[in-house]
Amino acid sequence: MVMITIDSKEYEAIPGETVLDVAKRNNVFIPTLCHHPSVEPYSACRLCVVGVTQKGWTKVTASCSLLIKEGMEIKTSSPRIDRSRKILMELYLARCPESSELKEVASKLGVDSSRFKTYTEPNEKCILCGLCVNVCEQVMGVGAIGFANRGAAREVIPPFQEHSDVCTTCGACAFVCPTQCIDLSEISTQTPEPLLSDYDAGLAERKAVHIPFPQAIPNVPIIDKDACMYALNGTCKSCENFCEPEAILYDQEDEDININIGSVILSPGADVYEPPEGDSLGYGLYPNVLTSLEFERMLSASGPFQGHIKRLSDGEEPKKIAWLQCIGSRDESCDHKYCSSVCCMYSIKEAVIAKEHLPGLDTHIYFMDMRTFGKDFERYYERAEDEYGVVFRRSRVPRIEQNRETGELSVRYINDNGDVEIESYDMVVLAVGMQPCDTLPDLASIVNVNLNGYGFIEVDPYYNVETSRSGIYASGSATEPKDIPESVIEASAAAAIAARDIKDARGSEVTTKEYPRERDVSNEFPRTGVFLCHCGINIGGIIDIQKVKEYVQRLPYVALADDETFSCSQDSLERIKERINELGLNRIVVASCTPRTHEPLFQDTLREAGLNPHLFEMVNLRDQNSWVHRDNPVLATEKAKETVAMGVVRVNEMRAVSHEKFPVVQKALVIGGGISGMSSAIALSDQGFDVYLIEREEELGGLSRDVHLGIGDEDPQKLLEEMISKTTEHENISLYTGAILEDIDGYVGNYTSRISHEGTTETIEHGAVVVATGGEAYEPTEYSYEDSENIITQKEFEKDLASGKKYLGDLKEVVMIQCVGSRNDEHPYCSRICCSNAIKNAVRLKENNPDVSVYVLYRDIRTYGFKEDSLYRKARGKGVFFIKFDENEEPQVDLKKGKITVQTKDKILQRDMILNPDKLVLSVGVVPGENTALAQQLKVPLNSDGFYSEAHMKLRPVEFSADGIFLCGLAHSPRFMDEAIAQARAASSRAATILSKEYLETGGSVANIASRRCAGCKLCVNICPYDALDYDEEKRIVIVNEILCQGCGACAAICPSGTAQQNSFTKRQIMSMIDECIR
Amino acid sequence: MIYELKIEDDVPKTVNSFLKQLLESGKVDAVLAMQETPSGKSAFPTMISDPEKLNTNVFAPLLPVSTGAMVSRLTKIKGSDKPLAVVLRACEIRALTELLKLKQADLENIVLIGVDCPGTFPMKTYSNYPGDDDPTEVVLKGESEENMRTACLNCKDPVPETADMIIGIFGADTDKAILLDTRTENGQELVSDMKLSEVATEEDREKAVLEIRNKRDEARKAFIDEHSDIAGVDKLLEFFDTCVNCHNCMKACPICYCRECLFESDVFDVEASKYMAKAKSKGAYKTPTDSLLFHVTRFNHMILSCVECGLCEQACPSDIPLMDIITAIAENAQAEFEYLPGRDPEEEMPMIVYREDEFLDVGEK
Repeated sequence: MVMITIDSKEYEAIPGETVLDVAKRNNVFIPTLCHHPSVEPYSACRLCVVGVTQKGWTKVTASCSLLIKEGMEIKTSSPRIDRSRKILMELYLARCPESSELKEVASKLGVDSSRFKTYTEPNEKCILCGLCVNVCEQVMGVGAIGFANRGAAREVIPPFQEHSDVCTTCGACAFVCPTQCIDLSEISTQTPEPLLSDYDAGLAERKAVHIPFPQAIPNVPIIDKDACMYALNGTCKSCENFCEPEAILYDQEDEDININIGSVILSPGADVYEPPEGDSLGYGLYPNVLTSLEFERMLSASGPFQGHIKRLSDGEEPKKIAWLQCIGSRDESCDHKYCSSVCCMYSIKEAVIAKEHLPGLDTHIYFMDMRTFGKDFERYYERAEDEYGVVFRRSRVPRIEQNRETGELSVRYINDNGDVEIESYDMVVLAVGMQPCDTLPDLASIVNVNLNGYGFIEVDPYYNVETSRSGIYASGSATEPKDIPESVIEASAAAAIAARDIKDARGSEVTTKEYPRERDVSNEFPRTGVFLCHCGINIGGIIDIQKVKEYVQRLPYVALADDETFSCSQDSLERIKERINELGLNRIVVASCTPRTHEPLFQDTLREAGLNPHLFEMVNLRDQNSWVHRDNPVLATEKAKETVAMGVVRVNEMRAVSHEKFPVVQKALVIGGGISGMSSAIALSDQGFDVYLIEREEELGGLSRDVHLGIGDEDPQKLLEEMISKTTEHENISLYTGAILEDIDGYVGNYTSRISHEGTTETIEHGAVVVATGGEAYEPTEYSYEDSENIITQKEFEKDLASGKKYLGDLKEVVMIQCVGSRNDEHPYCSRICCSNAIKNAVRLKENNPDVSVYVLYRDIRTYGFKEDSLYRKARGKGVFFIKFDENEEPQVDLKKGKITVQTKDKILQRDMILNPDKLVLSVGVVPGENTALAQQLKVPLNSDGFYSEAHMKLRPVEFSADGIFLCGLAHSPRFMDEAIAQARAASSRAATILSKEYLETGGSVANIASRRCAGCKLCVNICPYDALDYDEEKRIVIVNEILCQGCGACAAICPSGTAQQNSFTKRQIMSMIDECIR
Repeated sequence: MIYELKIEDDVPKTVNSFLKQLLESGKVDAVLAMQETPSGKSAFPTMISDPEKLNTNVFAPLLPVSTGAMVSRLTKIKGSDKPLAVVLRACEIRALTELLKLKQADLENIVLIGVDCPGTFPMKTYSNYPGDDDPTEVVLKGESEENMRTACLNCKDPVPETADMIIGIFGADTDKAILLDTRTENGQELVSDMKLSEVATEEDREKAVLEIRNKRDEARKAFIDEHSDIAGVDKLLEFFDTCVNCHNCMKACPICYCRECLFESDVFDVEASKYMAKAKSKGAYKTPTDSLLFHVTRFNHMILSCVECGLCEQACPSDIPLMDIITAIAENAQAEFEYLPGRDPEEEMPMIVYREDEFLDVGEK
């Protein structure tokens, strides 16, 4: 180690370094244009000149090539040096007067114009620094360009000024060029191909070294070996010059890892359909025709345009955008006969968000059937139309044409009256569907599972996560296109079944870490250690860590302030431990990156050193400081001082927090004995837990007792029978039929319930609750249902079909009316199953009696997924007639002398149709059960339709916000049996996350209510979103349930007296922090 | 139902004899009402169970404490076992209603008798009332308002609407009779055995009530306008310049229900080194540091429930005219939430219930 002096300050330097290296590392500003860490210094630009004093002599020389020597004294600025730089800068400006990069450096040096005459072409940008020539030669080993000519005519060109055929178009020259004056097409015979980011749907470029997407795990860069010049031809290796921790492994190879496993879950997902380039929709030809995925990235704030919507042709904001639905779905021409299930919803979402981004934007969606069949989706569709003004047009658009001059795209469609119209748009979004991912056949053959006719993984029609091979399960869009909530549900369902197979091995490979006894520091004054992290140059490159350190050292109770290049590295952590023990530190502040990723690591270090992990505070100097204040290092340093000081005063008030343990009753209560309740109970008991299953009725089965036909040849009644016998015979299931939950008390892990059953009341204890109370079929009052025995519901008709009633063979004409009791004012949601059920029955009828005419009167046919092909297409093939009606013009049913007349307006023919069916079948919807009483007992919410509300539609689809309570089946929303079973299994899997533990631990920073001071006003009880505060009626005070408390602080905020406070966020701490930052 | 109580001697004695009748009927075990202290210089809410000791003056124009807060003190641990009649003014009932919402009182076995309030004088004025006039007579006649408390002159509503019964003077000829308006079943039940005659017409009262309400509303509006210039930190600092941080305003306030105020806890205690550091960065640093913070925090906590009784102003040893700002703050804050404290015991207090679509213009959508 050598010491040198720069501007009267001493710096450590490593032999072999140049003066510029040392200055850069320590944030000392020396201007330069031609320096690059990967290229040998060339001393070309001469801007980096400094004054060197050695043995009394002072000379001015370029710092980039000046090797350091012990005792060297450097001056980065003096009148002589500044004059020299200014003249150089003026000369550069004279050569390249238009270069914005040069102007920027010039203004830093205080030069705004040049006294010299410009002798070059007006647009000249090259300053002849030679960096490009050197990088090409030295680093890339190519030498495709070089200097030619002399004096004023000197220039950088390929040999003989001809396009080079040795140039690899690697782009290194353009990358290093300080004035960005290199155009590869002038150098190479090849056309450079930019590396496009998959994550940004090809709308942005990426580097060969990149993090594939922000949520990647682990979140570290990878090297694209197909693009890395080192991987391709052994050159470059530039990145290693920038990676301080020397973490790049160029020679890392794929390796085989053997693991022993008991079950496998396949969740490879699906691919997005790619529209063929240059077909009638013009994708790939017209720049403003995008796929929905490309548009999605455009909308994203983290996307290539920071969320700004613009036309790719000219960067203008669009005024009018169209979405075309079913691109690559419901389309035989691309062999995708299925519906992709998600496109209708995401298009509506994109249209709504686009309107929010660009007020006044017109958004039109062209569709065949609007398939908003999921929970709360229909409402979203209605709001998009009524509140946001998204226009919906029922027409499939065959072609898009582009106006060559304006770039406008014209779309030809058929309006409601059947006339062809043309409308122009600035942008058209193709709502592309899903297809099996291209690697799926390989994966399937490796694990030996079957694929179905559509190329997706084949699964059981009812147990839809079970593949053709036992022990191997699948979830998500790899088995059928589906949206996020359903994928998350299936993932948990697959986990439940996989866990069943390996239940005996649960926890067997867990090792518990031993920690030393915790030191009691409650009687000590704080002795605080502050560890400042440079994070390489991430923080240290902007914030002057030395200044922060000096500032922090002077704060009260700070016993030590130290800095590390990487505080999270293993040796740094060891040093923190040593310091804690050496100096008797009892509070620790680490000022580095985000606690989201690193807090547990440092807390673990504290525990290893015998300190309670809550005697710790993390200050985010990176994400919330150096990353966002790159342009202002001085203020960033000031902010760092204050935020670290705030961290210090906060940690000084920290008290040790102990996590209390509460034993878990490892049993579950399942409420409801339908297909969902039974599935959930079986899944739980298969995972080794005891289950109490209560059913209100005497018989198990619920609504599934009315399902007699499957979509294929599967038999729902057989399934039900099997499930009932499994439930009644399972040794872990205690079954109570004809039973009612009288009351329930307790909290997650510890519930006590009273069940009345056969005249007695039994008290049971359990740790989790699954709500599977089901729903009911709508009882119609419309369409003269009550007046004729020939007007029946789909359920009644299905029973007749299954039992082969004799009248079926005599039927001449059958009419089915859809959406009875769905999508109306009373029930403003879609019941999801009625379209498929009606068509299933229509197909079955046609198969048995081909002469019968079947008319299905519908609003939208919602046969999503494979049902599009297996039911809807099949039905049309068999001659079932589908006639659309408008929601405002419902069919009229007339009954005269037993004769049924149905009158409906055919939208396509534009005339009234009169039908005289022998049977009129009403496709009634699903309505919620009597949920209110149970919802109140369990203190869980219902949505406005009367179904239970889950904690989060996508992230927690089978859980309530209250810990320990789960939901599934029709209690959640209308759904098919296979979907209900998956959801029930998912609920069991989530419940098992609690039941598999012997103890639950309280969180660290829970609320704390000082009972002596509590006035019992209950403000906190009302505001608590987790139901974690109990009011003691007798003492008239509030008590915290630490198991339920999530530490959100709402109670602490509303309590006027400071009686309710939050551990680790006390009012004293917050006050001291505020005091510290506004001093 | 509005009845007449014929005047016996004078108005206070008439009410006293009515209360005596109540006590003697056995329907209540005690009465809590304003009774003069032996010196005659003041009157306090007094719990009386012996009919012979009744010497009340429910119209005594002063407000030493809020009877609403007294009811809270009596019942917050446990409600009353025996029937009790409490006589209160409108602002006191409003305070009690807010305290009920905050679970700080229990109305078990309690019947609320409201009295029309023409206004009150500051304690000092009442005990040394200028001249030979009896202050009670002065206010009953409605002759002079010049010495009244600011809070009373700008009163939000002098009629105790939510009481079980109201002893009324508005719209009555107080030389002949005063009014007894039973508003609830409980109120009606109390007088069911008494021989009372109903008034011929309720119009006179309605008109008089409207008149006084309009008068107060106008005064209030003008008052708020007049003090609208007290805005911004500098003006507030100036306003509270003479505050000695005694917390009397908080102690007098019927709404400040905390067992121990945050500002009397150790939250704001700091070591010398911290003050020195502050002094170092600012050059000079006044103590106590939390005077203004105390007031704004207190407003933050109680203003939505503020019934504008003015007890805080009366309690201030530095004579800070607190109502100059509290009237406007209460008016504006309560208007934002369309909330009126004391209006309805069933009405939920704002902010305690989560509402998704509240204050969209300031929050995130």
